[in-house]
Amino acid sequence: MRYLFALLLLLVPILGVWTFVEADRWQLWFPENVSSFGGEIDGLFNLIMYMVAFTFIVTEVALAWFVFKYSANRPGKGVFTHGSHKLEMIWTAIPAVALLFIAFSQMETWAKVKFESNFPKTGEYTKEKPIAELWASQFDWRVRYPGDDGVIGTVDDLERSYEFVVPVDTDVVFHLRSRDVIHSFFVPEFRLKQDALPGHTIPVWFRAEKEGIYDLVCAELCGWGHYKMSGRMTVVSKEEFAKRMAEIKAEWYSNGKEQG
Amino acid sequence: MSLRLSLVATTGLALWVGACQLDKDQKPARPVVHYSLSAATTALGDDGEPVIPSSAQAGIEGSLEMLFGTPQDPQFQLLPEWKDDGFDPNWPQYAKGDSGSGEVDPAELLEDNKLYWRRQLAAIDAGLWDRVFVQDFTPDLRADWNDLCANTPVEARNDEFKKAARELFEGYYPKLSASAELYRQHCLHCHGPEGGGDGPTAPFLNPRPRDYRHGTFKFTAVGKSVPRREDLYRILDEGVTGTSMPSFRRFSRAQLEGLVDYVRLLSMRGMVERSLVATYKEEETLTSGDTLDAYAEVWEKWQKADSKVLTYNGEVPAPTAETIAKGRELFMDAKRGNCYSCHGPEGRGDGASAFALDPETGEVKPTYKDDWGNEILPRNLRLGIFRGGRRPIDIYRRIKYGIAGGPMPEAAASLSNDDIWHLVHYVGSLSERPQHAKAADHGDAHAPEKH
Ligand code: HEC
Ligand code: HEC
Ligand SMILES: [Cu+2]
Repeated sequence: MRYLFALLLLLVPILGVWTFVEADRWQLWFPENVSSFGGEIDGLFNLIMYMVAFTFIVTEVALAWFVFKYSANRPGKGVFTHGSHKLEMIWTAIPAVALLFIAFSQMETWAKVKFESNFPKTGEYTKEKPIAELWASQFDWRVRYPGDDGVIGTVDDLERSYEFVVPVDTDVVFHLRSRDVIHSFFVPEFRLKQDALPGHTIPVWFRAEKEGIYDLVCAELCGWGHYKMSGRMTVVSKEEFAKRMAEIKAEWYSNGKEQG
Repeated sequence: MSLRLSLVATTGLALWVGACQLDKDQKPARPVVHYSLSAATTALGDDGEPVIPSSAQAGIEGSLEMLFGTPQDPQFQLLPEWKDDGFDPNWPQYAKGDSGSGEVDPAELLEDNKLYWRRQLAAIDAGLWDRVFVQDFTPDLRADWNDLCANTPVEARNDEFKKAARELFEGYYPKLSASAELYRQHCLHCHGPEGGGDGPTAPFLNPRPRDYRHGTFKFTAVGKSVPRREDLYRILDEGVTGTSMPSFRRFSRAQLEGLVDYVRLLSMRGMVERSLVATYKEEETLTSGDTLDAYAEVWEKWQKADSKVLTYNGEVPAPTAETIAKGRELFMDAKRGNCYSCHGPEGRGDGASAFALDPETGEVKPTYKDDWGNEILPRNLRLGIFRGGRRPIDIYRRIKYGIAGGPMPEAAASLSNDDIWHLVHYVGSLSERPQHAKAADHGDAHAPEKH
C-alpha cells in the first residue's frame, strides 16, 4: 500500500511538469510576444516559474518520500519532536531572499515600461504629443486621433470606435482615459496592461514589432457587460498607417454621399 | 481500498452515467415560440375590457405570424407582385438597382456601393480578387476561401471558379433565422424579443434601448424617414456613444448585415401591427386585404428609404475662429437658431424651456417626452459625446434635420447651409479642452507644446 500512495503522490509533480512541457505543443501557452519589452516580461515570468517549479518538485518529492518512509504499516513507534527553530529560520529566510531577488530583478523592466521619465522622448510620439487618446467606457473602446493641428481635445479630432491602428516598429505613446468606471487596457501579445481611471489621463507606451491584428480586452471587471468589452489593436506598416489615417480622415470629413 | 468501498463507488458511478443518459433522452423538444403583441395592442380600456377584443387580437397575431414568421423561423411573406419583379425580401439584393439582370457594370458598382458584403460579391463577379478582403470574414469562411484559392492561381480563375466563390459567399450570408439567433444572444436582453426595447436589462438603462416597432430611428441620414440599411449598419458598427448601445464591430460584416436584416424585420412587424391596430380602431373590423395593404405600404416605405438620403453637396468646410463665432451668434439668436432655449446659453443642456415647474408638487421636471413616453433632456453639448457620431456631417444632419422621435427640431428654414455649418463648428468647439497652461485638474497630461 505504501508503494501505491507514494507513487500516486509522485505522479503529482510528474504530471504537473508534464502539462507545462506539453502546453507549448498544444498552444495552451502564451500568445506570441510582439512588443519590444515583452521578451523581458516573459523572461521574468519564466524566472519566477522556474523558481516555483523547483520548489514544487522538491516539496512534492519530499512528500512522497515521507509517505513511503514513515508509512503506518511499518513496524516500530513514532518519535515525538517539538519543532526545530533552525529549520523554521531557514524556511523563512530562503523565501524572503527569493522574494527580494524577484523584487530586484523586475525593477529595471518595470521602470522601463511604466516610469514616465523613461518614456520615449525623441520619436514622433511622446508623452506630451501622444498618437491618440484611447477612451474606455462601459462597454467599448474609442480612439481619438488628433486632427491637422496635431493636438487632441480640439474640434478637429478624429474619432473611431473599436479599432486602434498604430504603426509597427515605432515608439507609440497614447493617453488612456475612462468615461465612467475603472477599466483596464490589456493586449496579451504586447504583455501590456494598464488600468484606466476615471478623471485621470494615463500615458502608456509600447513598441510593436510585428504587424497584425491583436485583441484588445478589458481586464478589470467593469460591470455586467465586461465580458464583451473588446476592441482590436491593429499594427500596420508605417506606409499603411499613413494610408489608414488618410482613410479615417476622409471618412471623417465625408459629406455623406458615399454611404453614411 | 476495501472491496465494499469499491463496490459502492462503481455502482454510484454507473447510476450517475445512466441518469445522465436518461436525462438526454427525455430532453423536451424546443417549444415553438411566438412573437407577442405590444402592450398598446393588448391594452385595457377604462371599462377593464380590452380595447381590441381578444378575437381581433388573435386575428392580428395570426396575420403578423403569416407575414413575418416566428422568432425561430422569421421570414418575410412574398407578395404576388414581387414574384413577377423577381424581388425576394428574404434575400437582400446585393446591389442597388441590380436585380440580377446584369445591367449594372460591376466596376461602377464597386465604386458607388460601399456596402461591404455586396461589394465582396461584386468583386468576385468582376474578378477583382485583390478587392476580396479575407481579414473580415468569419474564421470558417476565411478557411474555406483560402482552401478554394489555394488550388487556383489568379490567372486560372474562370467563370466556374467565380460561381463556386459566389456560392461560398452566399452560403455564408446569414439566413434570417441565424441572425435571429445572434440577436437573441446579443441584443434581446436590451431590445426585447419583438424589438420593443423592453428586454430584461432595459429597466436599468438610461436612455432606454430603442423600441424598433415605431419604425423611428434617431441617428440616420434620412431625417424622419425609416432608415436605410447603411444607417442601421453604421449604428451596429459604431455603437451609440454615451449610451449603453455598444459597437458590434467584432462581428463579421456578414453577421452585421444579417442583424440589420433582422432589425428591419422586427421594425416592419411593429409598424404593421400599429397600422392594423389603427385600422381596427377606425373600422372595427379587419380583413385580410387590410393586412396585405398595411404590409405592402410598410415595405414601400422601407424600399424608398434609399431615396431619402440627405447629403451635403460640396466639401465639408473646416472650422475657423470666425465660423465658430458666427455659430455662437446663431445659437443665441432667438429668431434664427434659438438653440439656447433648450440647450442653455453655455450648451449644457439646461435651457429654460427644457424644464417646467409642476404646479401641484412644486417639483422641477423635464418638459419634454420622446415618442415612447420617456422624459428627455436636451443634450449637454460640452461633453464632446454625440450619440449620432461626432463627424461634422453627423452633427450637420442632426441640426439640419432634427432628431426623429424627440423634441430636437429641424433647423429653421431661414438658416442657410453655411449657417448650419457655423452651428456645427460652434457645437464642436464647445467640448474643446483649454489648451493653454498645463491643465492642473486630475494631473491632465494633455499639456500644450512648449515654445
Ligand atoms: C446594453 C443594451 C443594448 C444592447 C445589448 C444592444 N443595444 Fe441597441 N440600443 C441600446 C440603447 C440604449 C439604444 C438607444 C440609444 C439612444 O436612444 O440614444 C439602442 C439603439 C439601437 C438602435 C437604434 C439607433 C437609432 O439610430 O435610433 C439599433 C438599430 C440598435 N440599438 C440595434 C441593436 C442590435 C442589432 C443589437 C445586438 C447586436 C443591440 N442593439 C444591442 C442598447 C442596447
Ligand atoms: C426644443 C428643444 C431644442 C431645441 C430648440 C434645440 N435642441 Fe438640440 N436637442 C434637443 C434634445 C431634446 C436633444 C436630444 C435628442 C435625442 O436624444 O433624441 C438634442 C440634441 C442635440 C444634439 C446632439 C446630437 C447627438 O448626436 O447627440 C445637438 C448637436 C443639438 N441638439 C444641437 C442643437 C442646435 C445647434 C440647436 C439650434 C439650432 C438645437 N439643438 C436646438 C432639444 C433641442
Ligand atoms: Cu471595461
